[in-house]
Amino acid sequence: MGSAEDAVKEKLLWNVKKEVKQIMEEAVTRKFVHEDSSHIIALCGAVEACLLHQLRRRAAGFLRSDKMAALFTKVGKTCPVAEDICHKVQELQQQAEGRKPSGGSQEALRKQGSTGGKAPALSPQALKHIWVRTALMEKVLDRVVQYLAENCSKYYEKEALLADPVFGPILACLLVGPCALEYTKLKTADHYWTDPSADELVQRHRIRGPPNRQDSPAKRPALGIRKRHSSGSASEDRLAACAREYVESLHQNSRTRLLYGKNNVLVQPKEDMEAVPGYLSLHQSAENLTLKWTPNQLMNGTLGDSELEKSVYWDYALVVPFSQIVCIHCHQQKSGGTLVLVSQDGIQRPPLHFPQGGHLLSFLSCLENGLLPRGQLEPPLWTQQGKGKVFPKLRKRSSIRSIDVEELGVGRATDYVFRIIYPGHRHEHNAGDMIEMQGFGPSLTAWHLEPLCSQGSSCLSCSSSSSPYATPSHCSCIPDRLPLRLLCESMKRQIVSRAFYGWLAYCRHLSTVRTHLSALVHHNIIPPDRPPGASGGLTKDVWSKYQKDEKNYKELELLRQVYYGGVEHEIRKDVWPFLLGHYKFGMSKKEMEQVDTAVAARYQQVLAEWKACEVVVRQREREAHPATLTKFSSGSSIDSHVQRLVHRDSTISNDVFISVDDLEPSGPQDLEDSKPKREQEPGAGTPGIAAAEQQSVEFDSPDSGLPSSRNYSVASGIQSSLDEAQSVGFEDDGAGEDGSEGPATAAHTFPGPHDPGQETLAPASELEAGQELAAVCAAAYTIELLDTVALNLHRIDKDVQRCDRNYWYFTTSNLERLRDIMCSYVWEHLDMGYVQGMCDLLAPLLVILDNDQLAYSCFSHLMKRMGQNFPSGGAMDSHFANMRSLIQILDSELFELMHQNGDYTHFYFCYRWFLLDFKRELLYEDVFAVWEVIWAARRISSEHFVLFIALALVEAYREIIRDNNMDFTDIIKFFNERAERHDAQEILRIARDLVHKVQMLIDNK
Amino acid sequence: MAQTAMSETYDFLFKFLVIGNAGTGKSCLLHQFIEKKFKDDSNHTIGVEFGSKIINVGGKYVKLQIWDTAGQERFRSVTRSYYRGAAGALLVYDITSRETYNALTNWLTDARMLASQNIVLILCGNKKDLDADREVTFLEASRFAQENELMFLETSALTGENVEEAFMQCARKILNKIESGELDPERMGSGIQYGDAALRQLRSPRRTQAPSAQECGC
Repeated sequence: MGSAEDAVKEKLLWNVKKEVKQIMEEAVTRKFVHEDSSHIIALCGAVEACLLHQLRRRAAGFLRSDKMAALFTKVGKTCPVAEDICHKVQELQQQAEGRKPSGGSQEALRKQGSTGGKAPALSPQALKHIWVRTALMEKVLDRVVQYLAENCSKYYEKEALLADPVFGPILACLLVGPCALEYTKLKTADHYWTDPSADELVQRHRIRGPPNRQDSPAKRPALGIRKRHSSGSASEDRLAACAREYVESLHQNSRTRLLYGKNNVLVQPKEDMEAVPGYLSLHQSAENLTLKWTPNQLMNGTLGDSELEKSVYWDYALVVPFSQIVCIHCHQQKSGGTLVLVSQDGIQRPPLHFPQGGHLLSFLSCLENGLLPRGQLEPPLWTQQGKGKVFPKLRKRSSIRSIDVEELGVGRATDYVFRIIYPGHRHEHNAGDMIEMQGFGPSLTAWHLEPLCSQGSSCLSCSSSSSPYATPSHCSCIPDRLPLRLLCESMKRQIVSRAFYGWLAYCRHLSTVRTHLSALVHHNIIPPDRPPGASGGLTKDVWSKYQKDEKNYKELELLRQVYYGGVEHEIRKDVWPFLLGHYKFGMSKKEMEQVDTAVAARYQQVLAEWKACEVVVRQREREAHPATLTKFSSGSSIDSHVQRLVHRDSTISNDVFISVDDLEPSGPQDLEDSKPKREQEPGAGTPGIAAAEQQSVEFDSPDSGLPSSRNYSVASGIQSSLDEAQSVGFEDDGAGEDGSEGPATAAHTFPGPHDPGQETLAPASELEAGQELAAVCAAAYTIELLDTVALNLHRIDKDVQRCDRNYWYFTTSNLERLRDIMCSYVWEHLDMGYVQGMCDLLAPLLVILDNDQLAYSCFSHLMKRMGQNFPSGGAMDSHFANMRSLIQILDSELFELMHQNGDYTHFYFCYRWFLLDFKRELLYEDVFAVWEVIWAARRISSEHFVLFIALALVEAYREIIRDNNMDFTDIIKFFNERAERHDAQEILRIARDLVHKVQMLIDNK
Repeated sequence: MAQTAMSETYDFLFKFLVIGNAGTGKSCLLHQFIEKKFKDDSNHTIGVEFGSKIINVGGKYVKLQIWDTAGQERFRSVTRSYYRGAAGALLVYDITSRETYNALTNWLTDARMLASQNIVLILCGNKKDLDADREVTFLEASRFAQENELMFLETSALTGENVEEAFMQCARKILNKIESGELDPERMGSGIQYGDAALRQLRSPRRTQAPSAQECGC
């Protein structure tokens, strides 16, 4: 009974704590708390629940429906602070009453629209909690609660929370913080508040980062993915405040006792990092013994450091509650001593390296003292007269076993394994742990289970049973009492079966992994360190060596360097065409030149082709315009078809062409020449369109109503000389402004052996007609083609104009180049047409390559993969499906959260990521870095590396997603807001790790 | 919906869409509404973007959850998946582009078919500030709106004119429909949710007239 009561009280108090924390966080991140903030309401609710707990019914008036009102009124009689609140609340209520008569909904609407009233209406929630809320706003809630706690006998039953000698004052103390805050009625810039922004969420997460991790030791960190909050944009002063707070927590204070402190203890936070010196401290609070290690960089608190640097060090800081630690490995070396903490789940904490001079021993002895009375070190330290504590002397046999393989040339008796045991509490303690444990970990060995013991210690790198004391000392107490022994037996069985099922589940899990994921990654692992140096990336030096000696360089080795370290910016221009497949690795200079020449020729041709077509399109538009105007003024009903720029009510059917007289006769050899050329043109649309593309057209404009004699001759891009191509498209010789130039230009254009103007694919009748009329190069565009081109040009123009206009590179002239390349590509892929997003993919290529032909070619290569993601492709759905499997396997906790929050598993929040290869998520510099890794990854680790980047993005924010219980919409919003603020290198690192992880899972059969 | 950690002092949550052809200024309208600023460097939208804001409509706090969609019809297959359960939509065209106006019927059909028959739509003729280039008259569009039972405003995301009004009018109409019982927030796919804070007093229309002050029992 008593404990149940306590549990209720604890729960009530816990709710208050939670809300206080929220509100204080809001105050920190927003500098003030809005009066209408939902956190206030929530806090009021929680406090009210506490105040109502076991309120005395008999006390006068407490039978009334509004108990808060009664309570405050009653308290007000003896407590002046509460009396003030009573007055305030009455005023507020009168105001609310006063508003009511005019509260017809229309009336209220108008009022709200004009933001008129002096006193803004309290929301219904605010009214509900008006008493507590008012006290809070007046900053006296803590005092009122304090008063209630002090005079609890008057108002509360004995079991009440407020009557509790501990809980009552705690509640009052908790409220001191919120009562010190500034509450404001000021409307924020946007008049009303909105959801916390992504920045704010990231910052909040940073504030509570370290303790949060420690809160949930039982949660499996997704197969060991190391989490790190990305760098955000917290303002300096907040961070400093947060740092200060942390540093203050390292001092001795009323709640925690400082048992041990030592500076310049070295920790190597990451594998590839140098050890960092920091301050090691041991804190003892009522329940817990906690070890903290803080890098010196944080301790100094120098504000000059860049924020990023700080955030990195925050991640290195250690906070380890000893309740999680089961054993301690000690290694003594000449240079000092190293200590490794191993937690229940078998995870080793980063080694702590003590300087010379017995610090390790003194730390251990402090620790031993700190563990008392409940816990102790096993084996205990020995006390030697005159010397104080010394390391225990171990039997030789065991010390051999305990030598760590990694330790070199150290004496035998210098390595120790201590276990932390809690003799009195052992059984319930460990039983509790077992339930939290997932799978089977090394703590099984603590159970002295013969069958498992050997298995457990042999399969795990850290073998806690290697201590000679482990087995005998541990089991010695068990035979003492029979019931206990029986209990242990049954637990043993449970554990064995649990372990078995855990193993079974694990095997099933692995089989899922293998079936679903094995296609996503390459099975052979190409590591960064064999040969070493790949993490430095592809440097200028390496590249120039390659260029001198193409044949002797292995493509894979170069790609490996790109994959692990990117490309030095200066040589991106040279390397990218290789990565994208424009050049092949190993090509000689001459071969490269050949490729370039071919591509340039091709590009110029395509350019000329569509530019020719564009002129016709423009001409039609001009003539259609009057018609549009007519339509505009008539106010006719809406055309329900997909809009066309040009009206389709043409009287001319698709295949009708009227040729014009042309200027140059054609030789029959032209026809033959055009054939091979056609064949090497890939993707020139459907045959019908292809035919038309190659033709010149002349036709009646359907909308113009002009006589048919006003024809245009249109030459397709058929230049043999490349330098002319830019200037020559075709000319409108009939109606255009430059009509007079038409014949001259055409004369330049048409002669030449490469002239493909005679389209062999064109319908025979048409061709005949053309020949009859001597329309050598006059080919025809179908109306459909013109419509399609017009539509695409229009879309391209719209998007090019607004493509990355903030980026320095995109001046008007460069945007023009972007447009040319884009139109050329689309001209060749009219079946797919221009789709929004293509500009985004082309833009970074142009920025780096700064060469139209090259960008065109590389873009065409890029689109071979990326085209699949566009709506006509279908790759997007498989991306989503793969994401789902990956998250399910690599982060089951997050997967379940997503699952329970509904629609989530569709992963639409990744849509833009995949469509544009993260181009919109990252800054330009980062886009370069990420793209080249994606391209290199195809050969190095995974053809679906984008999946792992996406997963890395999710993982980088997984705590925020989890802690805020975000649903689908929250996530989309969050990532939209986080765009261009990710730490790309970190994301890449996580992504590479994830690939590696999946490779290992698959490998590990 | 699980939003326990987010702000939720609102009575209702309405899901809104902003739809219309590419380049009509949908994202700018949303940005102007939320940030009160014209976004002069916006890129075309890919997939969907998202904004939310709590507004006060007639004493009710309404959280608008606004989905800004990609305009190009090639993306309709994608954006359509967001239509489900939308309570309101801004149907946007560009007054300087007849083409965008001509496409409205398609958008309208999509919205009514995919979101809900009862979706409350407001037609927005955007770029009102570019009156010199106007290709669609006010009269014409308002006639169209009338024929199709749409509310209608001409807006300018540049100046902010009528932008908030567009969202407000739409939200207000939905609220009215809830009050009159025409819309049932409890129905699946209505695009309306009660906020955690909602007291649900709207469900009995008579009592809605008075704010719930007296329910405090004071």
